[in-house]
Amino acid sequence: MTQRRFHRSLLTVASISALLLMPVAANAGMGDIISLLTTITGTLKNGVGQLLNGIQAINAGMADLQNRVVWPVNVISATRTSVTQIRAQVSSLAEQVHSIPTNSATLHASAQFESLLRGGQTANFSQIQVSYAQLYLSLPKPDQATAIQRSLGDMNDAIALGALKTATASDQASEHLLAIGDSLEQAAASAAPGSAPILIAQAQVSDLESQAMLHRILAVQLRQEAAKLAYRNALTKQSAEANKNLRNNLQQIFNRTMR
Amino acid sequence: MRMGEKLKELVRKASTVVGWRTVSTVAVLTACVAFVPLRARGQFGLDPCCAIISTGLNTISGLLKNVVAKPLASIQQIQQQTANFEQQVIYPVSAITSAQALAGQLHTQLSKLSQFYRLPTHSATLPAPQRLEQVLLSHDPQRLDQVSQNYSLVYGNVIPPADAPDGLRNMVDMSDAEAQAALKKAVELDALADIEIAAADQINQQLQTAAPGIAPILQAQTAAWLVRANAYTQSATAELIRIRSIDLANTVAQLKLSAGDTNALWNGANQSLQRSSH
Repeated sequence: MTQRRFHRSLLTVASISALLLMPVAANAGMGDIISLLTTITGTLKNGVGQLLNGIQAINAGMADLQNRVVWPVNVISATRTSVTQIRAQVSSLAEQVHSIPTNSATLHASAQFESLLRGGQTANFSQIQVSYAQLYLSLPKPDQATAIQRSLGDMNDAIALGALKTATASDQASEHLLAIGDSLEQAAASAAPGSAPILIAQAQVSDLESQAMLHRILAVQLRQEAAKLAYRNALTKQSAEANKNLRNNLQQIFNRTMR
Repeated sequence: MRMGEKLKELVRKASTVVGWRTVSTVAVLTACVAFVPLRARGQFGLDPCCAIISTGLNTISGLLKNVVAKPLASIQQIQQQTANFEQQVIYPVSAITSAQALAGQLHTQLSKLSQFYRLPTHSATLPAPQRLEQVLLSHDPQRLDQVSQNYSLVYGNVIPPADAPDGLRNMVDMSDAEAQAALKKAVELDALADIEIAAADQINQQLQTAAPGIAPILQAQTAAWLVRANAYTQSATAELIRIRSIDLANTVAQLKLSAGDTNALWNGANQSLQRSSH
């Protein structure tokens, strides 16, 4: 009897569960569909459409700015032509001025020496030294001057000769720098706005090299000035020593006379 | 056995297990489930809902064509033109390659340039000047402490106290100090020039493969080095000014010393004459 009741309850629960779990079809109303479509079209018109129009306007504006204001093709071409014209006019003029000879010596030895100095050939260093010695004489021999005098003379000669050699090297380097400048200008005449920064960087690198050369020349100038000052100072020291010797000699003479 | 008989047999067996009332309840529920109305499916667009959806989708399609696709096409066209402009006018590959190649050529020329300044310019012939000259042209700041010692060997030491008045000794010492400082500054400048050349060389090497977008960074770096170089130039120029000023001051001091000596001589002569007259 109890088992029968249990089976009956089980069947009842199963039947109700089956009814409750039956899938029910979702039925959307027509109003909902119309509302959904209206939302989509509204979004397309006002959201997406307006944004795209805005982006289009910005793009068109930027393209116009680039084409007409920042990089106008006709102005780029005109600038290239201008670079070529300036190069033809001014660069050649500067080259002519730079190549005017400044040699001024009239006698044979000095003219030869001057020619070597202004030749701008580092290969002539040894000839410069020989020619310098011919023009400004060799050092006095040990029996003709004191050791200090010979040292001072040799040092002054060395500073002067070193400076002249550096000046020659500087002249030759200047010619190379001019050639570099010319190459850069030539490249600028056919450069695009996008490749110009590379050329500018190269010009700046060359400028840095040029500054380094300038520092070498300044170093030479400092050595020259220092040597001049040191030389005059050394003469003062020698003069003080000579005075001391003179005083001592006079004192000795005076002492002898007093006896 | 027929189907009806089978069903009767099943009902009879069920009623013996759960009772007639339960069987009848299950039968009613089963009938309800069986007769629940299912959703009707329309065919050939006859459903009014389909017409509305169709119209809506057509509207959306039209909007996509006119409102979305047209501006997108226009944007694409503008961007294509911009890309062409940039490729052909602003950043043509040939111009960039050409500029990079020029960097390679300049590298060779700049190397030659620095070689000129590396040629030896030593010219002294006597031992003491040779030693001083070697230090002065060494480009080595580590050897700066050798300047003073070798300088003294060529230009002499400070005048001993018994040999000259203090004023003159001070002047001479100051002149020696300035001359040595200038010589040391010259060694520093040579070393700095070497460093600048090395920096220029490295930047130039980078330029040989630099993209236009990278070039401004290298420009900035080179500009920074140029600022430094200008600072070194100023420092060297200041040293030149100092050494020339000391030289000028020495000339004026000589004049002052001469005036003092003349005055002393004049006083001495006066005193001698006065003694003679007495």
